Amino acid sequence: MKILVCMKAVPSTGQVQVDGQFRLQRDGAKLQWNIADEAALEAALTLKSAEDTVTVLTMGPAKLEDPLRELLARGADRAILVSDPAFAGADTVATAGTIAKAAEFLGDFDLILCGRRAIDGETGQTPAMVAAALGIPCISNAESVQLQNGAVFVARRLESGTVLLSVPCPVCVSMCEYTYTLRLPGIMGMRRAKSKTVELLDSAALGLSPQSCGLKGSLTKVISMDSKFPGLRNGPKETDLNAGTDALLAMLQEVVK
Amino acid sequence: MISDICVLCPYGLDAGLLTKAVALANGAPVRAFVPKVEADTAATFGATYVHALTNVPRDENSLVTWLKEKISQYGCRIVLAPASIQLRNLMPMLAWELQSGLTADCTDLTEKDGSILQTRPAFGNSLVATIKTLSAVQMATVRPGTFPALPCPCDNAQVTEEIIAAPDGRITVIATETGMEAAPLNHARVIIAGGAGIGSREGFEKLEAIAKKLGGAVAASRNAVDAGFAPYRYQVGMTGVTVAPKLYIAVGISGAVQHLAGMSGSEKIIAINTDPKAPIFDYADYGIVADWETVSNKLLEELS
Repeated sequence: MKILVCMKAVPSTGQVQVDGQFRLQRDGAKLQWNIADEAALEAALTLKSAEDTVTVLTMGPAKLEDPLRELLARGADRAILVSDPAFAGADTVATAGTIAKAAEFLGDFDLILCGRRAIDGETGQTPAMVAAALGIPCISNAESVQLQNGAVFVARRLESGTVLLSVPCPVCVSMCEYTYTLRLPGIMGMRRAKSKTVELLDSAALGLSPQSCGLKGSLTKVISMDSKFPGLRNGPKETDLNAGTDALLAMLQEVVK
Repeated sequence: MISDICVLCPYGLDAGLLTKAVALANGAPVRAFVPKVEADTAATFGATYVHALTNVPRDENSLVTWLKEKISQYGCRIVLAPASIQLRNLMPMLAWELQSGLTADCTDLTEKDGSILQTRPAFGNSLVATIKTLSAVQMATVRPGTFPALPCPCDNAQVTEEIIAAPDGRITVIATETGMEAAPLNHARVIIAGGAGIGSREGFEKLEAIAKKLGGAVAASRNAVDAGFAPYRYQVGMTGVTVAPKLYIAVGISGAVQHLAGMSGSEKIIAINTDPKAPIFDYADYGIVADWETVSNKLLEELS
């Protein structure tokens, strides 16, 4: 069984900077692994038996080499850094296209695990697009994932409740962030990680033209960015408890009737 | 001028989104794909063509190929869907198949020179992006509850029955657990939501008591859920559910953008907080600067 875990490095603070083309500035920002992606990695490590391999892959700047090595120490067998200046500014279609190319380049995976969405862009679109590009189904919002006889059993959280489903491999599953907590690196893991290298894949290695990736390969464009959440109402503020409660009761009566 | 708009609601009509699509189309045809039982409703909200679906597979992977063919057949240039969990999984697959740009979870849509400008909060903090699609087909998922549903006087929709064949044999649904203890949050008329300021599980029990008296539901901010005061299914906001009740009472909630994103579409918002500078007051129709527990006790007293 070959498992691929797609990870994204996201800014670890609430404050982020964007450049003139509204691209997130990751160079100066302090980055951390997206929590839902960590849950996906832990799910993979939990599923992994002795003959299985877990490959972690991220697309991002060169400085992610060390954070990737740490994931080797935590139990991943192989770490891939998909990095090229040409990949910068990619929207979800361009990102998914690049990741799918990398997944194909690395060989046939039986299971691809991702976080259900990243805390920066919060689109949650990339896993399903990667799956579509690879021609495999995608199950989103998983709370648990198990393997049995080559099929994946997923408990999936929907608005209305939980759905339990099974799907044969290969399949892509995106995990909820509150499900699995990523294990810490052990002494053995750290030793093992020292003997391994983080493998680099750039646009040339993947056979991607500059037009098909990054900002140029994107099908959406951010045309403006505002720093204030819309919907200001600026209603009156009551400091008198009795007056406030009376007004609240009146509004409640109107709605409840 | 806008060309055909396709509104995909295979798991249930989002009347607010359909209303918005009809307004954006400004006379151009709007196609609504809805469950057969909601075909008539879709007609009353102004759809030009209603595709009444039967045999909708429970797993959305099975719908991608069928929908792709329909969209190509009708030449739809704009494809919209509510940002439910299933459609936020289906739309990216469809976007890939159609090689279209897709914007997630929009909070507004406007028309400009035949393009749909999509508004969405981004980077999980205080940034709001306006996005344009560069591909021939423009696609977006829209946060449920964002737009009010307004019936349309133009009631001459053409209804076509569609039986979806050839489901994706790969996925087997083994069991469905719909055992939500209370009414789903997004259907409640009144929501009383607690934040970290509530301070304990016992505090939330007090909110439950008020909600019960009002026939409403209790919700929570992410901070309150993270602190263990309320279960995850109560969470309203970017990483929880989005709600738009008649009345939303935010109790002890400071008003982080992530929370605002999940409730700012509410008809009326009331904020109760001890801190007069809490951002939630800026987004409320009415604010009470007071200790939440004192207000709650008084409210419970008055309601009994």
